[in-house]
Amino acid sequence: MSAAETVHRILLIREEDAGHSGSGCCGRLGSADSELGGAADFSGNRCRMEAMGAVYRELRQTFPKEGVELHMVDPRNTLWLVPAIWRDARRRGLPWSAAARQVARGVNKASIVVDGRVLYAGEVPEPEEAVDAVLEELGRRA
Amino acid sequence: MPTNKHVLFGHHFTSIAGAAPIVGPAIAVFWGWVPALAWIILGTVFAAGVHDTGALVVSVRNKAQNIGTLTTSVINPRSRTLFLIVIFFLLTLVNAVFAVVIAILFEGNPTAVIPIFFEIPLAIGIGQIIYRTKSSALVPSLIGVVVLYLSIFVGQAFPISLDGVAENLGMSARTLWVLILFAYTWVASRIPVWILLQPRDYINSHQLFVALAVIFLGILIGFDRIVAPAVNSIPEGSPNWFPFLFITIACGAVSGFHSLVSSGTTSKQLDKETDARYVGYMGALGEGSLALGSVLATTAGVGALAAWQERYSDFAAASDGALGGFVTGIGHFAANLGVPTAIGTTFAAVVVISFAATTMDTGVRLQRYIVQEIGEIVGNRTISQNIVVATTIAVVVPLALALLPGGGEQGYTFGVLWQLFGTTNQLTAGLALAVIAVWVTKHGRNPIAVVTPLVFLLAMTTWALVLNLQNFIRDREIVLGVLDAVIMGLAVWLIVEAVMAMRAAWQSEPAAEPTRQT
Repeated sequence: MSAAETVHRILLIREEDAGHSGSGCCGRLGSADSELGGAADFSGNRCRMEAMGAVYRELRQTFPKEGVELHMVDPRNTLWLVPAIWRDARRRGLPWSAAARQVARGVNKASIVVDGRVLYAGEVPEPEEAVDAVLEELGRRA
Repeated sequence: MPTNKHVLFGHHFTSIAGAAPIVGPAIAVFWGWVPALAWIILGTVFAAGVHDTGALVVSVRNKAQNIGTLTTSVINPRSRTLFLIVIFFLLTLVNAVFAVVIAILFEGNPTAVIPIFFEIPLAIGIGQIIYRTKSSALVPSLIGVVVLYLSIFVGQAFPISLDGVAENLGMSARTLWVLILFAYTWVASRIPVWILLQPRDYINSHQLFVALAVIFLGILIGFDRIVAPAVNSIPEGSPNWFPFLFITIACGAVSGFHSLVSSGTTSKQLDKETDARYVGYMGALGEGSLALGSVLATTAGVGALAAWQERYSDFAAASDGALGGFVTGIGHFAANLGVPTAIGTTFAAVVVISFAATTMDTGVRLQRYIVQEIGEIVGNRTISQNIVVATTIAVVVPLALALLPGGGEQGYTFGVLWQLFGTTNQLTAGLALAVIAVWVTKHGRNPIAVVTPLVFLLAMTTWALVLNLQNFIRDREIVLGVLDAVIMGLAVWLIVEAVMAMRAAWQSEPAAEPTRQT
């Protein structure tokens, strides 16, 4: 794929299994990987994380690195996430109001956003279903 | 999960930013703004950057293990026990100091009480929307922040002071606030995280950026001059800046807790090893910028020199008045942006209290796990399996410590407790730096960049502990003296382990260098 070809961006949004903001480093409550804290505290997040991890692996296998950027983002990372969805949505020609709607839907506890368009929000699909939906979306854009 | 470095920096920074880099510098400007600023800059560049990046790299090269596990594999199994003991004391002190931080802010800013207590049901409501439905997390949390800031007006109309109630109960208002706060954390630390902790995370993530914007835009627009002296002539009997400055500013210059975030979690998401410097070093710089904001607020935002001198007349006044100075400064910066000063001041108090309350919530939760683990080790099933007992122990120990210094009757104030917290935090940093130094040496690299901050931190920490111990013995402060002696024992233990591990690393053959992943 040449550099001139469109680079697509797929955002997989999921919460980390850890406390994130405002507790500071002093109160960082652990995740399954941390020395501190019970993993059970964040079992809900962990389930979504692992389900989204399966989607990531399936998408990574389907799409080569060239031409498709694949990012896993925590929805609390708003300073990066909000401009990213907004920029992608505007780049594909969505009007301001529609782009704003995509941003609002996309920043979710679990969502999949392709080139600024939210495919899933609030749920993690089966990996194969996610790949089909992304392929369809990219095919529509091609 | 390989993550883009800009995305990962966002995750890392929001995980490490909190109230601690605000409080330490606000106290430390007591010695003048030049020493405080110099330590923030030098500490961030030469200690924190090395520490945070190093922890990330060593973790990546060791299957993304966390720092506790790394102490076992890189130094020796004994040092893991040291790590857990240091963490136990650190958490106890974190919970104690943040209870006092909030109590001081509630006492000085009764207008912040209603917004802060209103934030609890607000966060619970947001949590119900986010986690019980498929709806957006952004819109409810942004509305939540707006509603929280609107509640500041209600707080202005109905300030809540506990002076009268406390007097009737025969205690100070600060003591009563501390009791209320620990009662709150006893409950908050036991409820599922998605109900309160996580939705408040969303509110805090927005508050962090709003606060940073207010600080730096307020400064840029107002272009205020620093009124505090560059180097303050401190009254006789005050602690000297050398070595106490280096333990008063821990977070903001170098914080051992960053190694817990860098290893284990952030390291698992690093896309390329070469991204470690960007994520780790930039995270340290971000924390340093919060500390810089605190220095500016307490030196340029507090009005005339006379007002500053009154607030920082001695160390006791400085440690009590530092937070007041910070919120006043932010109120002034907010006024530069057209926000009424009183509203801006309450806003600053709300931000710091929100962060500190989240720290307490998670800190008590963590302490409970450690108490349960200790119960398991000593074979006490009541402690290890009864959550009520474990939580009560996790609350009572820091509660006792928070109430211990009292109102400064013996000259011991919040600042002394804060310094003990800073000391323990630096010890954690020392342990992580020792792990990094040994690992670097074992791989045949020059460890000078790691050994220099390690030696400096351990020297300053031990020196400050010795001086404080002398004061505690002189004034018959038994509990603080014992605590200081125990922490000093841990420092000596750490020095011995670090020296032994470094000697062994120098004598060993360099380990095979793994292929760098780029």
